[in-house]
Amino acid sequence: MLQEESDLSLVIAQIVQKLKGSNLYAQLERQAWASLQRPEIKLESLKEDIKEFFKLSGWEKKLQNAVYSELNVFPLPSHPAAPPEHLKEPLVYMRKAQGSWEKRILKSLNSMCTELSIPLARKRPVGEQKELLNKWNEMGTDEPDLSLFRPVYAPKDFLEVLINLRNPNYENGDSLSFRTHLGLIQVPLKVKGIPELKEFFVELGLTTGQLGIDDSTQVPPELFENEHVRIGQKVLAEQDSAAAQQYIRQGSPTALRAELWALILNISSQPEDILYYEQLKTNVIQHDLLVDSLIYKDVKLTASNDDYYFVFEDYLYQVLLCFSRDTSVLGHFAYNSASPPKSYIRGKLGLEEYAVFYPPNVAPLCFLYHEPSKLYQIFREMYVRFFFRLHSISSHPSGIVSLCLLFETLLQTYLPQLFYHLREIGAQPLRISFKWMVRAFSGYLATDQLLLLWDRILGYNSLEILAVLAAAVFAFRAVNLMEVTSLAAAEAVLADLSTLKVMPLLQIFLFATVT
Amino acid sequence: MSRVSVPCHVKGTVALQVGDVRTSQGRPGVLVIDVTFPSVAPFELQEIMFKNYYTAFLSIRVRQHTSTHTPAKWVTCLRDYCLMPDPHSEEGAQEYVSLFKHQSPSMTFPKWLSHPVPCDQSAPLIEGLPEPSRVSSEVQQMWALTEMIRASHTSTRIGRFDVDGCYDLNLLSYT
Repeated sequence: MLQEESDLSLVIAQIVQKLKGSNLYAQLERQAWASLQRPEIKLESLKEDIKEFFKLSGWEKKLQNAVYSELNVFPLPSHPAAPPEHLKEPLVYMRKAQGSWEKRILKSLNSMCTELSIPLARKRPVGEQKELLNKWNEMGTDEPDLSLFRPVYAPKDFLEVLINLRNPNYENGDSLSFRTHLGLIQVPLKVKGIPELKEFFVELGLTTGQLGIDDSTQVPPELFENEHVRIGQKVLAEQDSAAAQQYIRQGSPTALRAELWALILNISSQPEDILYYEQLKTNVIQHDLLVDSLIYKDVKLTASNDDYYFVFEDYLYQVLLCFSRDTSVLGHFAYNSASPPKSYIRGKLGLEEYAVFYPPNVAPLCFLYHEPSKLYQIFREMYVRFFFRLHSISSHPSGIVSLCLLFETLLQTYLPQLFYHLREIGAQPLRISFKWMVRAFSGYLATDQLLLLWDRILGYNSLEILAVLAAAVFAFRAVNLMEVTSLAAAEAVLADLSTLKVMPLLQIFLFATVT
Repeated sequence: MSRVSVPCHVKGTVALQVGDVRTSQGRPGVLVIDVTFPSVAPFELQEIMFKNYYTAFLSIRVRQHTSTHTPAKWVTCLRDYCLMPDPHSEEGAQEYVSLFKHQSPSMTFPKWLSHPVPCDQSAPLIEGLPEPSRVSSEVQQMWALTEMIRASHTSTRIGRFDVDGCYDLNLLSYT
């Protein structure tokens, strides 16, 4: 008993400390002071009266949302003797692997700098600053010479690192035995099986209404859709984060999605947030970073060529350039196995630089949010809660290593013939599905389907659904895949996912497949 | 209530194995670690703390001297305490663990430690949420924590940095 109580007190103390520096705390304090004017607040029962006032005015709900948000994001405090690295990643060999991977990226960046004689960061001359400010809203029209910039790494390089991860305490042996994993991932992380996934994703079951299935044109809206929209509006009126998270497991109506995501991620657009974004914009204007060119190149190669996303090209630059300068993102490194690279300024080790990451998935968010500072906030929150786990090596259940292992295990267990056949022809399934998972399917699915998928990521606070969907896609195309005889042919069968409907696939795979 | 760590001597592991230890045909699944306490004064043990490395189950046995006339006997304090819920996977494999003295009446022991935990210990499940007012009063009671919060700075960052007004960087460091 004593242990649990002291654990709880520790969690409370941690959350209090975190919230004390927040805007919400200042607002609550102001509100409490202002409330003293009110007639119902009496000196004898000051504490109770103020608490009652907070409850009635909705401030308690805001505080609840903030606490809920903290609980969702930050891992529970671990043992007091555990050093901070342990909180980032408990397994030593994973930490080491992440460290080596980071060194490789840094080496690559450094050599790019020296080869091209371009500084990592420099202050822009005033003329250049003015020019950039003028064309801030149309950076897409710029055509700088990016031919010399190579991408720092490709997903398949990262996959190779994951494939070579080994637990030094795990006896695998070189020869194939019943203990060797048949897939590419060789580390023994715990992943859920289908019975556990059925329990975890219970709201995706056959008897529960879903957006993405029960809102199709053949189904009369009175059966599910109308009621679901009504509940969604009520949830938004109540401004309850936890309720919103539960609600969105069945999908979000398009009209309510932007607000629901903001509520779940606990983002409100205060004047301070807009100011913060403007400050970041100023940083972009004043300083030029090497990574900016890499971002330009990546956006030009991907989003600008995409039929759906090219319209958002300018937005993407605005968001990504600001993101690479946002030091508040550094907070998430407490629970991310990665570390931000450091740099020397005039011989003194100091400033923590931008996070080195694989350019993340901004484009789909542009469909939801039009105002740059709100778009920026949502993107940043999605990154520090979820997407960073796709780019760093860790043992977390939503980390990319676990997702890969989950995918391979599901396929092996429930489609053993297909798995074996693909392996035999030299087309290990993970080599095909990795690029989907590492980008959270962005750029592969149709946008409306992608947003339905990301609804569930938010609703279940987990990325495991990406691995389940990947397995479901293979199950769906199993018949064609059994007939192919090469990796290239297998890739061709799975090249185009834009016509897929994700929710029926997931439902069938989890709840309607005969095992 | 200050806590002091008791100096102890941890001997190397000994495998429990039938037959010749040198033949590596079968890897032993059970290892024994002896812990002795060189200090002479009796002490009351509150907590045993260690970092796990792939041990699935832990048992603790203690040799107690109850009086100078009766011979010392071995008592099992902890039997098969689970450290790794699934020994074939990584869960709990490298975690930091603390084992506490329970609220049983304490006895001091001269040389050998005693860990009077009931043998049938299993982790109690949290049935429901604790009462908020009780929890909040407990937090207030832990004044040391609140004092620490008041004294310490908030963990929120202020914003951008500018070192000497210069931002020219040419190299990232590897360390």
